[in-house]
Amino acid sequence: MRHFLLLFFLAPSILFAQKKSDSLFNASLDEVVVTATRTPRTMGNLAIPVSLINAKMLYQSGSLRLNDILAEQTGLMITDNFGKGIQMQGLSSEYTLILLDGEPLIGRTGGVLDLSRITIRNIKKIEIIKGPSSSLYGSEAMGGVINIITDRAGQNKTDASLRYARFGTIDGAVNFSRKYNQTDIQIAANYNRSEGYSLKPFAIQKTVEPFWKSSQQFNLNQRITERWKTGLGLRLNNTYIDNSIAVQNLGSTIISKGFEKNDEFNVTPYVQYQVDKKIKSVLRGYITGFNALQKLDVKDAYGAYNDQFKQLFARVEQQTDIHPTQQSTLTLGAGIIREQVSSNRYDSLSTVRNNQIAYLFAQHEHAFNSKLVVIGGARFDANKAYASVLSPKISFQYKINSYWSFNASYGRGFKAPDFRQLYLNFTNLAAGAYSVFGTEVAEAEIKRMTDAKLLEQTTDVFSKLSILKPETSGGLNVGIKYNHPQKLNVGLNIFRNDLSNMIVTDVIAFKRNGGQIYSYFNLKRAVTQGAEINLSKQLNKAFNLQGGYQYLYTADKDVLDAIRLGSVFQRDQSTNMVTRMKWVDYGGLPFRSKHSANLKIYYENATGVFATARAMYRGRWGTMDLDGNGLINRADEYAQGYFQLNASAGYQLNKYFKLMAGVDNIFNYKDILNLPGNPGRVGYVDLQINF
Amino acid sequence: MKKSNVFAFVLLSAVFFYACTKDDNATGTSTLTSNVVKDLVADTIVGLVNGQPVGVGKFTFYSLENNAVVPSTDSNSTKWDIAFRGTTIITNAGTSGPGAGGAFVYTGTFDELKTVPTDSTFKKDNAPTSYAITSGSNKGWYVYDPVNNLITPIPGRVLVIKTAKGNFAKVEIMNYYKGGSTPAPSASDDIKLKTQRFYTFRFVHQANGTASFQ
Repeated sequence: MRHFLLLFFLAPSILFAQKKSDSLFNASLDEVVVTATRTPRTMGNLAIPVSLINAKMLYQSGSLRLNDILAEQTGLMITDNFGKGIQMQGLSSEYTLILLDGEPLIGRTGGVLDLSRITIRNIKKIEIIKGPSSSLYGSEAMGGVINIITDRAGQNKTDASLRYARFGTIDGAVNFSRKYNQTDIQIAANYNRSEGYSLKPFAIQKTVEPFWKSSQQFNLNQRITERWKTGLGLRLNNTYIDNSIAVQNLGSTIISKGFEKNDEFNVTPYVQYQVDKKIKSVLRGYITGFNALQKLDVKDAYGAYNDQFKQLFARVEQQTDIHPTQQSTLTLGAGIIREQVSSNRYDSLSTVRNNQIAYLFAQHEHAFNSKLVVIGGARFDANKAYASVLSPKISFQYKINSYWSFNASYGRGFKAPDFRQLYLNFTNLAAGAYSVFGTEVAEAEIKRMTDAKLLEQTTDVFSKLSILKPETSGGLNVGIKYNHPQKLNVGLNIFRNDLSNMIVTDVIAFKRNGGQIYSYFNLKRAVTQGAEINLSKQLNKAFNLQGGYQYLYTADKDVLDAIRLGSVFQRDQSTNMVTRMKWVDYGGLPFRSKHSANLKIYYENATGVFATARAMYRGRWGTMDLDGNGLINRADEYAQGYFQLNASAGYQLNKYFKLMAGVDNIFNYKDILNLPGNPGRVGYVDLQINF
Repeated sequence: MKKSNVFAFVLLSAVFFYACTKDDNATGTSTLTSNVVKDLVADTIVGLVNGQPVGVGKFTFYSLENNAVVPSTDSNSTKWDIAFRGTTIITNAGTSGPGAGGAFVYTGTFDELKTVPTDSTFKKDNAPTSYAITSGSNKGWYVYDPVNNLITPIPGRVLVIKTAKGNFAKVEIMNYYKGGSTPAPSASDDIKLKTQRFYTFRFVHQANGTASFQ
């Protein structure tokens, strides 16, 4: 423990200088992760399921954006609605917290944080924590946490890379870092563009429209004295997408030209004070903003379409790590968050909606002996705009012997109602004249419409409209791991997440013109459970084999109750005959694959040649109801399962140049309807220069 | 059958009749008939008005007593029991006709409904604000999917009908598209518009005035 503390002192330079990350072992026991406990821990000493993707794997896999590499990980699915979202342990994108160097990214659309916004050209590693982690991170950390850690190398290094890929895709990146006596700085820039593609050859509107994305990042760390350290991070991230929307209105096509623009900034100052060998304290500030603008010059009666969304998130947080004894670590933290949002979807741009959160968290980790480690913690979030939440978590690890270890954890997670659920005031004139009102504005809007005699009637659920509560979950993870250093690594994790108070829309009233009015309710209960197996085997000096499989079962609990009661029916596609639905007929929550797997081979020799082949399988997943019961049950309601094979190879020409080429989706698998984000086979060449 | 106009003729000629199969129930009574009606046209789409698909706006009237289409000239009589126009289904009572009819939507399977529950309330149409068989998506017998533009009968919905004469029948809508086959979600809008409003339904009619369907 003392040795560890010493390491801790000199962090991050020593930690990052470790050569351990050269190994492709997914869970090499010595690799350090910070996300699981908010303190640096080696992979071998973790009581909760964590996976790690290191820089080498990121490079050799030929990934450019965050979604590229996550799509190749066991148990993670990329969804394609409002951008590239992530599904973890069967929980959808809105329930996974995405951190950049430990700070949460904002700017979600429909709950989805678009992972393709994030370049991985300057990423050192990605840590993936599965299971509820709200006890440390608060809202959104229900399914898990993905922490993207940028390369703050603390060394003198300059590199540049250039990629050309199909569809006019160009990606250029420059990373620069310098280490001076007490100062280290890092500058990273990335530009990514593509001409997009069409899956339907003669369509006016491309499936993916031309876009560009750019990112600039600057980090500074300054050691003031032995004990004091400070730093600042700045990041700018911009995306621009061309938009030509062709609206088919029964024969007549209306083409509208426009664009979509997202601008994001992050500012992260910190001060760190090492009180003594036992106590370290960090004060962190964080301000991030996300502005989305969508403009369309619509050539019809509705005129120009202008949609704006502005979000600001500011946080001050203090975290103190105390080591009262060699066997224990106490982590204490507190913070204040202010969030504000304005959008012309919520009244007007000039109306700023805000929320304030004050929170406290504490975690105690104790090693009872060399075999047993127990971690207990909790976080309390007091919110202004909705009910407060307490999120506890307990986990332990037991090392059976030097090869086998067992761990289990139970935690509570939550997701705060988001601003749209509270304040949305949206009427779609084009499609059926429906309206959606957030819970905080619904009553006033209904009254206004009643007075204006625009309403036909309110529904029964209208009377149930109330203050939204956060969505909550309880997550259990039980795992067993076998590790034979540098030879074989096998891990099994069994999980179950029970979700309650899930927010769904329901009809609160009917308009006289036939349109429906929706609002939000804490109604749904769901379960996701399954098992994940991961394997990593060093076949010989050159070959490393990795594989993984996830079995996933998901269900809406109310549907399960209804099936038990016999009040759910289904219709056969060919005979049109109706039967009572049985438990086995129910396909669970949509967009979930029961089976998913991957198998990857990495080759590398001493002369600087590497090659990879990565096969991913995703079993069928439910996409839509076709027999009128609102559920996934019939075979034609599923998207077909598929294999995708990606391969890459590269060569280190000399000290300066690294060359790589690869092909993603070699078998050119496409599913126009269900996988619009999959363009088919994509080849690329990539040059990296190290100065 | 007197044909008042060419359109009615087209409507009627598009109707296929399938042989009645008498139920061979144990008691040997012949008051119970069980039928499947296929591709009953219900105001099929003839064009677009303001971008919205429209038919000519006429109901197709059907007699469950006789298992036959009733000409629209007899709409103001007690010769018909149920009528179809797009997704709207009416029964011969209230504002819809002079009969002693009515209906309600029962939740369960067609075969399991062996008798009309004693506490049943038969509603009468009060057009255009309310119908015995509630109109609208997910309110009565069908659900409309705005993404795929498809109309699907909700499984487990049985229309319990009181005929114009006051006898009982149960009706299950099986499909809304031509040939009893819903187009694939990926089918063109043109196909979806041209093949819709063709009802496939089955019914059991009890002629003896009792509430029993067995």
